[in-house]
Amino acid sequence: MDPGTKKSQSSEAMEFSTKKIDLLEELTAAQGVVERKTTIPILSHVLLEADEGRLALTTTDLELSLRTQCAAQVKKQGSATVPAKKLLDLIRLLPDEEIRFRAQENFWVQVICERKTYRLVGLAKENFPALPEPPPVLARVPARLLADLVVRTVFAIASEETRYTLNGALLILRPEGITAVATDGHRLALAEAGHKFTDPALREEVRVLIPRKALLEISRLVPADEDASVEFTRDTNHIFLRFAGDRQLIARLLTGQFPNYEAVLPRENHRVTVIDSGEFAAALRRVAQLADLRSQAVKLAFRADEMEISASSPEYGEASEVLPVEPASKVRDPLTIGFNVNYLLDFLGVVSGAIRIELKDEQSAAELRPVEEDRLRYRYIVMPMRI
Amino acid sequence: MPRLARLRSKIGSTAAVPPAPAAPRLSEACILHVDMDAFFVSVELLYRPELRGKPVVVGGRPDQRGVVAAASYEARRFGIRSAMPLRTAARLCPQAVFLEGRHQLYEEWSDRIAAILARYSPVVEMVSIDEAYLELTGTERLLGPPLAVAHRLRQEIWSRTGLPCSMGLGRTRLVAKVASEQAKPRGLLWIPPGAEAAFLAPLPVGKIPGIGRVTEAALARLGIRTVGELAAWPREKLETVFGRWGTALWSRARGEDVFEFLVDAEPKSIGHNHTFGTDVDAPEMLEAMLSLLCQKAMKRLRDAGLQTRTVTLTIRYADFHTITRRRTLSEPTELDSVVLAAARQLLARHRDPAQKVRLIGVSLSGLTHPSPQLPLFDAERRARLHRLARATDRLRDRFGFEKVQWAGSLNLPEDDRS
Repeated sequence: MDPGTKKSQSSEAMEFSTKKIDLLEELTAAQGVVERKTTIPILSHVLLEADEGRLALTTTDLELSLRTQCAAQVKKQGSATVPAKKLLDLIRLLPDEEIRFRAQENFWVQVICERKTYRLVGLAKENFPALPEPPPVLARVPARLLADLVVRTVFAIASEETRYTLNGALLILRPEGITAVATDGHRLALAEAGHKFTDPALREEVRVLIPRKALLEISRLVPADEDASVEFTRDTNHIFLRFAGDRQLIARLLTGQFPNYEAVLPRENHRVTVIDSGEFAAALRRVAQLADLRSQAVKLAFRADEMEISASSPEYGEASEVLPVEPASKVRDPLTIGFNVNYLLDFLGVVSGAIRIELKDEQSAAELRPVEEDRLRYRYIVMPMRI
Repeated sequence: MPRLARLRSKIGSTAAVPPAPAAPRLSEACILHVDMDAFFVSVELLYRPELRGKPVVVGGRPDQRGVVAAASYEARRFGIRSAMPLRTAARLCPQAVFLEGRHQLYEEWSDRIAAILARYSPVVEMVSIDEAYLELTGTERLLGPPLAVAHRLRQEIWSRTGLPCSMGLGRTRLVAKVASEQAKPRGLLWIPPGAEAAFLAPLPVGKIPGIGRVTEAALARLGIRTVGELAAWPREKLETVFGRWGTALWSRARGEDVFEFLVDAEPKSIGHNHTFGTDVDAPEMLEAMLSLLCQKAMKRLRDAGLQTRTVTLTIRYADFHTITRRRTLSEPTELDSVVLAAARQLLARHRDPAQKVRLIGVSLSGLTHPSPQLPLFDAERRARLHRLARATDRLRDRFGFEKVQWAGSLNLPEDDRS
């Protein structure tokens, strides 16, 4: 054993106890960040740091990190790492009692609850990646609003890793509002909300390209509490979000140029139809059963006051449904247009009530949006398929 | 869109092993045989329209030792046939125009026709450069009645390539093939189910595929000259004379065959490489060659109606040490500029400038059919580039590949251009 490790052992004799219920809640939150299939063992560990009445838990996959904490009675300050998933599974099964942790030689961590004793294999905490320190808070964003923006855009992010700059959503904070936009090159989701930021630090527009995994964590971490807010700040390469309960999410930003989305927002979609989103989604799901497996194409034929949804698959057959619709524009010429059914269903999954379908022709982008706008202005742009 | 299926036939093997009597197919079975009319000549006429209406022979000069590869219908009137020595042809028709064959050009046009055919059936078998079978069985609900489909297809081939063809439509491949033969030139002949025997009966037995001169002579000795006469013979008697071949003759006289469609995979990659006459280390020379190779590969890619996702660069140095490096594009493309940029980047990043290069090559893989999904960004620019590529390809088809090029490949020395 080398002398360096020995030294750290003696100075890091961590010992603390905490309530199962508190620990379980934070461990569960920390779990989302931990990579299951990592080649770097330390990234599957959670860093435990006991210090003055609290236990801090940190997990990271190098791109995304979460730091959270819970109350603890600390006997000896110190830190240790243990396999995150193992610890969570174990804690879950323990009775709702006090749990004691003690760091031992060779990075072992002893866990004691009543008369049950476990020892977990740890790793040198020096190997745990250092996290960047957050700069001062830039803005306080209403938590629910942030979550709503994320939910309405995250599904449109490109899943293909080669389209690097499309692997995240663009978030724009302005003194008077906030915008989220995501696209995979075929469709685009844009959600905007007016919000007067009172933070003096937010003087000009801030644009950040946030990776998908970070966005999914954000929507998980937003508390149900309607009035909570999230402290937002950034440095050159990261954003830092502090949620209620002192949970801090740190995400490495994507670099590169997000496409000029404003240029593709339709301006001449004069053929407007109004339809109930629930009925539309139900019909699409049925018709999709007989859509071509590879293209997932459905055909929408708009007529004066009805819409026919149809699809056909060489293997399984064909489907056709006619829905009454409400024409909402003077332009009512028949128009038949094809779409990937999943692109439509993704949108219908996050809206409710009546929606507007705004079209130009069978080759141009369609715009879909809710008729009733709540505090969000939501626009969904889909390119058609050749049919 | 149905996948472009290139197929191979079992003809070779069935000829060697005479088949057992075929079970009659379902009545809706429907095969279309497409046969290009005087294919090589027709292609040449696209480039030399002034020769239309004249006797034209493709194969070589009349004083050469070769044989006739193809003859125009005007030349056939003088008795010129395929596989006839060129000298004989010249004697039969001295005023005929004799052209050298340009096989690569014919293959390019054949690919283009295959791409059209593939849109009409998921099962297309190119049995030769100018001949294909399409399985239309079961496509009726999708495409319409087979006769109308065949008509549409013939029109499309004509309007898109300017090449004439004949078609036969029948319950079996045999009937379809005999029908297209009878329909020539520029005809379409449908033999409805049940009418096979009546259609075949008056034809000489030699019209049946597989009956060559030897069988024809043997049948003649039995007094059999027409298919009808052959069909009248009991099966057992034919089997006594011809063995298992007799069984096959018996069923073929009824229009039955036992061919199956055999699907070959599509091309997995399209590549071009070049070995320099003398080893090269000048970067501008390597870039120019890379540009030419990319353009050639991309033309073939577009002709096959495909897009590529992965570009692979091969460099063989003077000492035969060879490296291959690949790059995956963010999305499939059929545009020269995208692939060329990727290839250039690979060259710049991976070439060892201290060594001379003997061979350079480009290969396209990850081949897919274009998605029907339209792009949200850059749609107009992409459509323009796509139109440019199509126009370039058409000009190249007409005037030769080298006539339209990106500037990058223009400063290659003459020796290295081909």
